[in-house]
Amino acid sequence: MTVLSTQGSWRVGILFATSGVTSIIEQSQLNGTLLAIDEVNARGGVRGLPIEPVSYNPDSVVAYYGELAEKLIVEDRVSAIFACYMSSARKAALPVVERRNALFFYPTPYEGFECSPNVIYGGATPNQNSVPLANYLLNTFGKRIFFVGSDYIYPRESNRVMRNVLHQGGGEVVDERYLSFYTDTDGFDELAREIIELKPDAIFSTVVGQMCIDFYRAYHAAGGDGRVCPIASLTANEAEIATIGPEAGVGHITAAPYFRNINSSANRKFLKAYRAKFGTVSDVTSCCEAAYSQMHMFANALEEVGEMDTDLLREALLGATFDAPQGQIKIDPDNNHTYLQSRIAQVDNNGEFIVESKVRRALKPDPYLVYPGIHDWSFRTQKVVKSPQ
Amino acid sequence: MSDFVRDFRDLHVLIVHPRDSSAEDLLQQVNRIGCNFDSVWPIPKVLEKKFDLVFVDVTDQPCAQIKSFLNSNGGELPTVIPVIGYENPSALEAVFKIGAHAVLTKPVRAAGVLSSMLMARMHWAEQRRFQKEMLKLRDRLDNFQKINDAKFILMRHHTIDDKEAYAVIRKQAMAKRTTVFEIAQSIINADGILRNIGDI
Repeated sequence: MTVLSTQGSWRVGILFATSGVTSIIEQSQLNGTLLAIDEVNARGGVRGLPIEPVSYNPDSVVAYYGELAEKLIVEDRVSAIFACYMSSARKAALPVVERRNALFFYPTPYEGFECSPNVIYGGATPNQNSVPLANYLLNTFGKRIFFVGSDYIYPRESNRVMRNVLHQGGGEVVDERYLSFYTDTDGFDELAREIIELKPDAIFSTVVGQMCIDFYRAYHAAGGDGRVCPIASLTANEAEIATIGPEAGVGHITAAPYFRNINSSANRKFLKAYRAKFGTVSDVTSCCEAAYSQMHMFANALEEVGEMDTDLLREALLGATFDAPQGQIKIDPDNNHTYLQSRIAQVDNNGEFIVESKVRRALKPDPYLVYPGIHDWSFRTQKVVKSPQ
Repeated sequence: MSDFVRDFRDLHVLIVHPRDSSAEDLLQQVNRIGCNFDSVWPIPKVLEKKFDLVFVDVTDQPCAQIKSFLNSNGGELPTVIPVIGYENPSALEAVFKIGAHAVLTKPVRAAGVLSSMLMARMHWAEQRRFQKEMLKLRDRLDNFQKINDAKFILMRHHTIDDKEAYAVIRKQAMAKRTTVFEIAQSIINADGILRNIGDI
């Protein structure tokens, strides 16, 4: 699909929910995307023309992502879309994007086993974060892990991967629960009490969005202490912890490519610009950073290609690198996913993530890995020595 | 988790397809999935033993040639997934004839390749299991027939009943440290020889 810039700008479509169950994280992805657009436009745009976002709010309702993707392409004549947090939303938008041969940037960790030629995947696959996290939990807290997840595809598949990795390391899954998106606070309270009774060494949580906040709070209210038995997550980012609060958040662990307090010049520049635009950096997350980087990589590719042609842009994007706030990343030409850093961080008393360990270099994405090896050398993390801030 | 899902990275895959965009997409996807693979065209005479799974383009290719290629390593058939360009009855007839375990349609998309590989592998394994089982059952059936024949011979010669005849066979088998089937066969052979002598 080729859309020439006829109106004096490069139009791109954006679908991140600013209301509904996953809006906390999607709002941060929207902000990251808009910030990158501002930066590109501030330096003169792409080939002299600004990038013009057309953004709709899908309200965290799965079906709307497909409908709005169609609307963006057909009515707004857009051929590049930056969208989606949940896998179910991605699956709704995917057939539309493929049928219309548009480009779809997806800045979210997900469960793998997909590789559409129309999608550039900017978030981590399980091999990039589950294996390092499993290693860390087994070595630091113990072998008895309790699994909790929201009831949809991502938690089920990440738990399958996690279960395999833990078994190899001699770990044991104490119990495994999936909560419907309609679970009320009583439901979380009850679950939290059960967990505390079973006394696991750690909890592996793939509970997302607002549910994540309810769950962490319920765990704290039931007497759970993250410093003793943490909730470990691949998705609980700064935005969730900020809402949860430092008291209920302290001690809990997240594995992600990016954390806000990484001490690098690229990250300082990113945060400074983010604060200038949005007034605060409290909702900056790894998904926000991925969205930010994807927009910049898109702009770089567009600069090179000079037209909104899906096939040409894909060619330019595959193999492209970018000095992201997390460090250097690269789009893997083998599978459209992204080489990413892998870090494990723990929430401190002030509600800030402190990076405890990281892998030495960006990990290759392996979206079709069924059985990751816990002893694979590339997944080894190293302790991060605290640098004075 | 089933072995098929856990072990698919160990498969050796051969892609027999002209180098066009379908072949390219298929090769890339098999690479992403993480299997060992090779590609070849035109259809070779002999299939190397190491390949567990073969994708083969059946568009406009003579069925007999494909069959002889697939059967070329001593009757041990690999898992076969034809890549078809047309979904019409004659193309599908060809798919049946070559004994396919799953089908992939052109244009090949990344999505669907893994599912068809796993379905094919499962069907292939099941077919083998059934075949082995059937051979075993057929053998057993033959053997039971033999035991019956041997029992009749003993009953006729020694005017004993069915149970006693079987007891004799069993006792012999134990004494000679062999199976009841062996003894039954010996009795049948001996009976034949003795009868022939009587004819002289």
